[in-house]
Amino acid sequence: MDIVDQLGAVREGKMSRRAFARSLLASGVAIATLPAGARRAMAAPEDQGTYFTWGGYDIPELFGPYMANNNGEMPNFAVFGGSEEALTKMRGGFVVDVSHPCNQAMPRWVATGLFQPIDPSRLGNWPDVIPALVDLEGNDAEGGSIWMAPFDWGQTSITYRTDLVDLEGKEESWDILWDPKYSGKLGSLGSGADAWWVGAIKAGVDFKDIDTPEAFEKIAAVMREQRPLMRTYTDDNTTLEQALSSGEMVASMTWASSAVQLQAEGVPVKFAKPKEGALTWVCGLMIHKDAPKVDKAYEIIDSLLSVETGHFMINDYGYGHSNIKAFDAFDAAKLDSLGLSKTPSEVLSAGHFQVPQTQEWETKMNETFEQIKAGF
Amino acid sequence: MTETSNSSTKAQRSPGRGGLSGLLHRHENLRGFLLMTPTLLVMGVGIIAPFFILVTMSLWTRQGFDFDTTLTMANYARTWNEPIYGALLSRSFWISGIATVATVILCYPMAYFVAFHVHRNKMMWIILMTLPFWTSYLLRVFAWKVILGYEGVINSGLMAVGLIEAPLEFLLYSQEAVIITLAHAWAAFAILPLYVSLEKIDKSLLEAATDLGDGPVARFMRITLPLSLPGVIAACFLIFIPTTGDYITPALLGGPDGAMIGNFIQLQFGPVNNWPMGATLSMVLMMWISLIALVFLFITRLAREKIA
Repeated sequence: MDIVDQLGAVREGKMSRRAFARSLLASGVAIATLPAGARRAMAAPEDQGTYFTWGGYDIPELFGPYMANNNGEMPNFAVFGGSEEALTKMRGGFVVDVSHPCNQAMPRWVATGLFQPIDPSRLGNWPDVIPALVDLEGNDAEGGSIWMAPFDWGQTSITYRTDLVDLEGKEESWDILWDPKYSGKLGSLGSGADAWWVGAIKAGVDFKDIDTPEAFEKIAAVMREQRPLMRTYTDDNTTLEQALSSGEMVASMTWASSAVQLQAEGVPVKFAKPKEGALTWVCGLMIHKDAPKVDKAYEIIDSLLSVETGHFMINDYGYGHSNIKAFDAFDAAKLDSLGLSKTPSEVLSAGHFQVPQTQEWETKMNETFEQIKAGF
Repeated sequence: MTETSNSSTKAQRSPGRGGLSGLLHRHENLRGFLLMTPTLLVMGVGIIAPFFILVTMSLWTRQGFDFDTTLTMANYARTWNEPIYGALLSRSFWISGIATVATVILCYPMAYFVAFHVHRNKMMWIILMTLPFWTSYLLRVFAWKVILGYEGVINSGLMAVGLIEAPLEFLLYSQEAVIITLAHAWAAFAILPLYVSLEKIDKSLLEAATDLGDGPVARFMRITLPLSLPGVIAACFLIFIPTTGDYITPALLGGPDGAMIGNFIQLQFGPVNNWPMGATLSMVLMMWISLIALVFLFITRLAREKIA
């Protein structure tokens, strides 16, 4: 097919229908594949910082102050499903400005040498950060700086349908997620960083002893017991929320945000306070050693620590926030209904607070858990 | 295609010219290699080099976050000794085998119809049949999630008609869901080769068969099917090989029992953080696929000789 010939044929009115259809096809293919070849403009301009975070944290509501400073632009986002996956990706050479690990992973993240200490004097909201959340195991760097700026804290527990799960007068318990009555109607977060620890609570393993062969066996046993009952394991909150709202699942291990958001939509769910205790954690922000835009990194962190963001986190996601002033807008009853408190330690120590583990443990745990999920 | 003929006619017109064009004119092989250079470069940089990296890495072992670079077969021994790898591999072959057979059987009549019974606007028909494949693979997989879901199109449809009381749960998060989705998502790769091989069949052969007393069924078995076998084989390969290692479909629709080897390879490079093991699994998968492909080729050759 020669283009000049074709143009000539069109001009002379000699183009056959078949040839015309063929050129239509060719132009269609060309147009469809054009975006793949051409360099596309990025969704957010290249002069914004990059924030590597969990799904659900990539929304404008958390970045009011940042957007005010940057002509309404949000940071660039990269999303991960589990913090171990995120660490592997960054070890593989993925450079971001800010990332979002939790206290349990933080010492291992620091040990990789991929991060730089945070200079609190560059954060306007730092004086309002609750000191107890900064003072975490492993969170001290040289020169009085710290590695992780705490941002959110809260619980991992069970979100269940109050109309479809019958407690039969018993207390709420992790047993719901192991109840054969609900086989095929239970869900779970897919990342071992939540699920394995819940398994430890269910198996009655103290978190202090979680790194022992006996603990491993006990937890693996309860996870294997649970696996046939599971509809699916996923790292995607939306999948769990949709399944709970349609009744496809009657109960699932989730973070607080799933329950709060479903309640806001009028779905009859409850975020359980299991008698064995919920799983509790503190997550925060770390800056990459080679962060290309360190200034933007501090802007992202400061925005996340702001009172405005805190209101959204508490009210709409049901998470604790690290800015003490963010709690002033809520009365004790509201906080209590969300399972939160102005003094984080009350909530964190009431549940089982995750403790940092070695890299060997983490790898072995993930390996075992993935095998169990696959049915072995 | 046009380029080849253009350059060769030009060379013929000026046989006496020296320099590069003369050289190219004298050496047909050189001409061929020159035309293939871009492809060869892409192959070398994009396929062969990574392949050797993969082979080397599969012989390493993990040590914490780093690699122990002494060459060892330990990973291969693990894939052989631990039942999980064999089970995942055979499940992957099972799922993609069924998907391949289903796709080819479903697409054959479509291609047959266009090749033999459509006489005008054939290209239009082909475009129409491949139209769904102009959207992204991920979107198509997600669309199936909507169709097969608990409150999806099929379940709500069946419930509205009153055929079922409660939604069918096996539709989503199961091996069936993966098979259905793969069969649809790869249909274009079956329709096109099947159409091409059917279109090429000389219609006078069919007339001759009819004249010699073959009914429609015998004619199909003796003429059409054997002559379209190359298309069938090509379609089988085009679907079986990529779907065996498919990752996104089982990840979104498979649920706990639908996980395939591709998902496990991804895990090795992700949360499990064992790149050498991931490389080994990829190698083992490739070897098995090659083996199965060879056996398949051998069987079809036998079958063709039988028919012919």
